[in-house]
Amino acid sequence: MRDKEEGKRVPEIGGWPDRLAPIAVIIAAVLTTAGFLDAFFLVPPVPGASVSEPASIGGVLIQNKLLISQKIFFFHMPVAMVSFCALAFAGYYSIRFLMSRNERFDACAKVAMEIALVFVLMTMATGEMWTRFEWGVWWTWDPRLTTYLILMLIVIAYMVLRSMVDDAERRGVFSAVLAIIAVVDVPICLMITRLIPSSVHPVVVREGGMSPEMGICVGMIMVGMLALGFALYRARFRQVLLSQRAEAIKEKMDEGSSLGSEVMK
Amino acid sequence: MESVDGAHAIVADGLTKRFGLRKAVDDISFKLPQGSFLVIFGPNGAGKSTLLRMLATLSRPTSGSVLLDGINVKEDPAAARMRLGMISHDHMLYPDLTAEENIIFFGELYGVADPKARALELLDAVGLKHRRKDRVRTFSRGMVQRTAIARALVNDPDIVLLDEPYAGLDPNAVAVFDSLIESIRQSRTFCMVSHDLDKGLGLASHVMVMRSGREVYSGLRDDVDEASFSALYKSTVGQGVA
Amino acid sequence: MSVPNKPSGMRQFAALLSKDLRRELRTKEMLISMFVYAVLVIVVFGVALSFARPSDDLIQVSGGLLWAMILFTSLLGLNRSMSQEMEGRCIEGLLLAPMDRGVIFLAKVTSNLMFLAVVELIAVPLFWVFFSSFAHPADTAWLIAVPLIAGSIGIAGIGTMLSSMTVNTRGKDVMLALLFIPVIYPLLHCCVSATTSALLGGVAMDAFTMSVALAVGFDIIMILISWLLYQFILDA
Repeated sequence: MRDKEEGKRVPEIGGWPDRLAPIAVIIAAVLTTAGFLDAFFLVPPVPGASVSEPASIGGVLIQNKLLISQKIFFFHMPVAMVSFCALAFAGYYSIRFLMSRNERFDACAKVAMEIALVFVLMTMATGEMWTRFEWGVWWTWDPRLTTYLILMLIVIAYMVLRSMVDDAERRGVFSAVLAIIAVVDVPICLMITRLIPSSVHPVVVREGGMSPEMGICVGMIMVGMLALGFALYRARFRQVLLSQRAEAIKEKMDEGSSLGSEVMK
Repeated sequence: MESVDGAHAIVADGLTKRFGLRKAVDDISFKLPQGSFLVIFGPNGAGKSTLLRMLATLSRPTSGSVLLDGINVKEDPAAARMRLGMISHDHMLYPDLTAEENIIFFGELYGVADPKARALELLDAVGLKHRRKDRVRTFSRGMVQRTAIARALVNDPDIVLLDEPYAGLDPNAVAVFDSLIESIRQSRTFCMVSHDLDKGLGLASHVMVMRSGREVYSGLRDDVDEASFSALYKSTVGQGVA
Repeated sequence: MSVPNKPSGMRQFAALLSKDLRRELRTKEMLISMFVYAVLVIVVFGVALSFARPSDDLIQVSGGLLWAMILFTSLLGLNRSMSQEMEGRCIEGLLLAPMDRGVIFLAKVTSNLMFLAVVELIAVPLFWVFFSSFAHPADTAWLIAVPLIAGSIGIAGIGTMLSSMTVNTRGKDVMLALLFIPVIYPLLHCCVSATTSALLGGVAMDAFTMSVALAVGFDIIMILISWLLYQFILDA
């Protein structure tokens, strides 16, 4: 049942990426654990986020804080990057789908979007913790937080849209269109919320770069999270493809049983 | 469908519509001579509507090609659409516009020189001239379908496609519809999709039977008499179909 | 049979637009429902603010409320406008015609924009009549026309594209809101910012130009993308 379309290569299961997936799981487990330990026990606390001017958030005057909550950043940034990566892949596969109308690309885009959702949720969760402990409030309309909220809403809307369209090809086209819109809309959203800051909240700036220790730690977790994203993608992709095949076989069998007599003439 | 007389109005070659592992239409080829009337029979889900939509340029085939009057639909869809009219069970009319406004509107879309005169002429032909100033919403199902015929003919098409046009029509309206189709036949080529054997056979010059996206029978209408065709149809498509 | 030349896009555009306008003038379905809805939103805002002390601070909120009204009202209209094309599957009649899909998009955007403009023309002054007891805008208030225009164009453009998808889904209305609000968020942000600036006047006007420029930029990019993607939606 191999699906090779006019010589063009389409993503398949069972090739080298699937052999790589178990290794990726191990890499992910090792690196994220190591990164976790590194972040909490080895990397010294650094002055975290500072605020352009002393501001009162949630009744507390915030200027420059040295907090353990800074550690959240080591996870927050990598998962955010991975979610953007997954979104970019979803956009890429969506374009491929619109061009080729090959269902395989639709499946790829869908799975990439699901991975994006997982990592967006992780980003939101870590971001929330950050906001809570660093700034003392559960939510602020900071440009990045806002953009992430919008991204999360669009990704959720994507999932809902998929479940609301019955015809398979139409579902593919609509969701591909939405994925492309999301890829364009989200960076614009970040840019606009940055350029027009809402008046009530301070602009958060990060001073200087990362120290080498921080860089290594973030790098480790980043690679680990990317490996995790990849492994999750392959596992889910495999599952989606196999269930599609099972569906097709079921349909074939249904057809066969309702056959009165075999094709005539 | 072998035919030797020169001009072919519709040439379908290896038409396939597939999405994923599902083939809605599987490798259908035929050549339809000008002036003929092809009726495609088949149970629900046989892929006949999908086939017709591909002929109508509404759906892009996964592979294969369609030539309408020698024009490749993929290369010049606009030119192909100029020669095409379609009547379906959906009337494709705006209920809040009058019959005349509807025809004029579609005439404008096709670039008809004098849409108003054309609308008058067509509504006269389908016997609705006296109701032309009334909204389509106030029409009976049969009248709506007659207006739909007028709409489909607004660009004077060479090829007319019919998608289950009898759906929802009472016997009287069916008779009127059939006689109208006869009257507009002239040198036009028709392709109709139906699951209703009796109504379809009356008009057909060519017949095809589809099941599960594949062609299971095709030939000239005169080669088969009604009873044996009906038996053939039943045995081909299986039980549960009239 | 003589086949006439392919019709011009302009003539088709005019036909599509006048069809939408004629339909609407006859039934007034969209205009009335949008207008009534706008009034209801104003009433709800009135209740929401009825225990707030009248002060100039409220002027800072009113720009946002105005946009909330416009957003919800436009959602209603966008939905109706596309549903009409689905009744009797008229949209297929349009697709059968030898017509560029972009023409269909532009005509629909134009008619949606016109209806939205008509409703805004009545509803926005009405909004101020009801809110005049709460707060008084600055002299630059007339400048809100600029973000109103930029915002309405974006709403009509993106909304037309999204509603063409959602009319083909189950739960159309909800689906449109679900897609429309997050996608339009950046535009809303710009428009609220520009509107609030204009209403406050003085130093607040600093942000006005930037906000309007970004709103226009958003409009251009998103409408271009919508226009490109529209053919895929229609052919699906």
